Amino acid sequence: MKLKVTIWFANVFGALSRLTGRGSGVMVTGRIILKLMPSAVATLSKNRRIILITGTNGKTTTTSLIYNALATTTRTISNFTGANLFAGVATALSQDSKAKTAALEVDEMVLPWAITQTRPELVVLLNLGRDQLDRLSEVRFVAQKWKDALATLPENCQILGDADDPFVVWAAQDWSKVIWFSAGTKGHIDASTCPVCGHVLVWSDGGNSYHCECGFMKPDPDWVLNDGTLRGPDGEMIEVVSRIPGRAAVANAARAIISAVVIGVSPTAAANAVSMVSSVDGRFGELHIGATIFRLLLSKNPASWRETLATSSTSGPETVLLSVNANTQDGKDTSWLWDVDYSPLRGRVVLVTGERRLDVSARLTVNEIPHRIVNDELEASRVIGDKKADLIASYTAFHRLAKSVRR
Amino acid sequence: MTFTIVHLLPELLGTYGDRGNVDILSWRLKQREFEHEVIIVAVGDKIPTKADLYLLGGGEDDAQIAAMEILARKDGMKKALESGAHIFAVCAGFQILGMNFPASGGRIVPGLELIAVETISAELRSVGEVISEPTIPIATLTGFENHGGQTRFLEELQPLGRVSHGVGNGTGSGVEGLITDQIVATYMHGPALARNPELADWILERKLGAMSPISTSIFDQLHDERVRAVRH
Repeated sequence: MKLKVTIWFANVFGALSRLTGRGSGVMVTGRIILKLMPSAVATLSKNRRIILITGTNGKTTTTSLIYNALATTTRTISNFTGANLFAGVATALSQDSKAKTAALEVDEMVLPWAITQTRPELVVLLNLGRDQLDRLSEVRFVAQKWKDALATLPENCQILGDADDPFVVWAAQDWSKVIWFSAGTKGHIDASTCPVCGHVLVWSDGGNSYHCECGFMKPDPDWVLNDGTLRGPDGEMIEVVSRIPGRAAVANAARAIISAVVIGVSPTAAANAVSMVSSVDGRFGELHIGATIFRLLLSKNPASWRETLATSSTSGPETVLLSVNANTQDGKDTSWLWDVDYSPLRGRVVLVTGERRLDVSARLTVNEIPHRIVNDELEASRVIGDKKADLIASYTAFHRLAKSVRR
Repeated sequence: MTFTIVHLLPELLGTYGDRGNVDILSWRLKQREFEHEVIIVAVGDKIPTKADLYLLGGGEDDAQIAAMEILARKDGMKKALESGAHIFAVCAGFQILGMNFPASGGRIVPGLELIAVETISAELRSVGEVISEPTIPIATLTGFENHGGQTRFLEELQPLGRVSHGVGNGTGSGVEGLITDQIVATYMHGPALARNPELADWILERKLGAMSPISTSIFDQLHDERVRAVRH
């Protein structure tokens, strides 16, 4: 009873926050719930099947895909808007008391708390790479946090882990129930040394495999994604279709199908549901500014920039606007710009904006990418005119713009 | 004569975009049509001992130790200095050049002993914008520091700058980085030479003599904006 009153009370404040234009209300609701009842997340997780999704890149998209796949057969809740900290998780769990399943995105550093509170049935570990080094610390440190937390999982919990990522493998490999997935991702910008012993990690097979003299090596994957076909441990073959463009999106679609199958959804239903999703929380959504129609893409660290540049340059229009900020959520250090090769942009019409447009311009100058600096999206649209363009934005720039995409 | 820049072990010492420093030096030489080459030395490659300028970037603990072990072999860096080479080192690279530096679990790892500094673990990580007034005749220095070590001079040495914002080398010294006849070391990421074009040219000119100015102003604009952003 006390919990119901708490949630009702928190929802009222959340609605007030939304109505007065202070925000979506998600954070306010969750904060009040946790303030009044610190055990609320544990209580709300009881008798529910919980799936936690975390990693550096692809959390929001994969969570949404998993939600859609699960919702075909079971009433499911999720934190749809990427609110993946304590309050966001609390709000998501409080929203539909009849839902028996929850697909919850959690921040990399929130995973240990989420495991303790929700006692999950499945943990999906996407990848681990450098991101916001000033806030999230170096990759190895995060991997150690995961490793410690995963050792406390409920006995029957399974992990869906990425065999291509040495840090995910190191964090998860001690657990008895790991399902290894490989999308054939090559190499890893941060895994030059072995996570176990610190010696130089040997990459072989064109970056498809790795091993160390200490015995650490890439595990044999149970599920393999190859050219859009997902092969399962029993030889099952599933076609993975993604309306969200890009190689990373197809891999996330495959992860969502596997997750849903683990929870008991039929592979066909899961694959169908996943193939229907075309935009997640503003990603790849259309945004009309002036006469220009922008397609909005999120990019936030070297790994995601690489994916986004490849996706934009193969599927996007000729013109592209880059918008980079360096607020707390973006990471205040922009050095990572120099870890990205922008040459896929060569030959396109490139405009640059955002609070750190001078950093981007300096980087593009050295990368020999002709470009023009503009003050904001409006000025960009005046330059571009009545055309389509891609708008690749860093975290805070993206979320400001994505609000206009959401309907 | 071809000017040779060696980028040392980028896969180990390249966590903070410091590889940009190599690209910037190369770009600045290219603008002046100065003949040069960049040699990237990966793990397992032989380290050339006759190059003009060696660059060392920042890295995580294990990678720093792995890099240290490779660089210590056959006294390669010492020999390079003896044949007149210069070194530009950032963060973990700075620490490696000293007498010793800390590793995980409270271990102390011996460094290359090329400069009389030692690094100890700080209680708090130094993270944020750093501004310093240089001890050489160039513009104010701007960078982004992110390091858990504090580096102290074991004898009288010339710092690169006197800190007006941020931490720098730490230990209450109020100084940032280090300059010797052949070495420039710093905690500035950003990367340092993107934000500080005058430092980039100072490093090149020390080896090559005076160079013509470059017409592109974006690096100066970036420099001024970063200095202003911190001061206001």
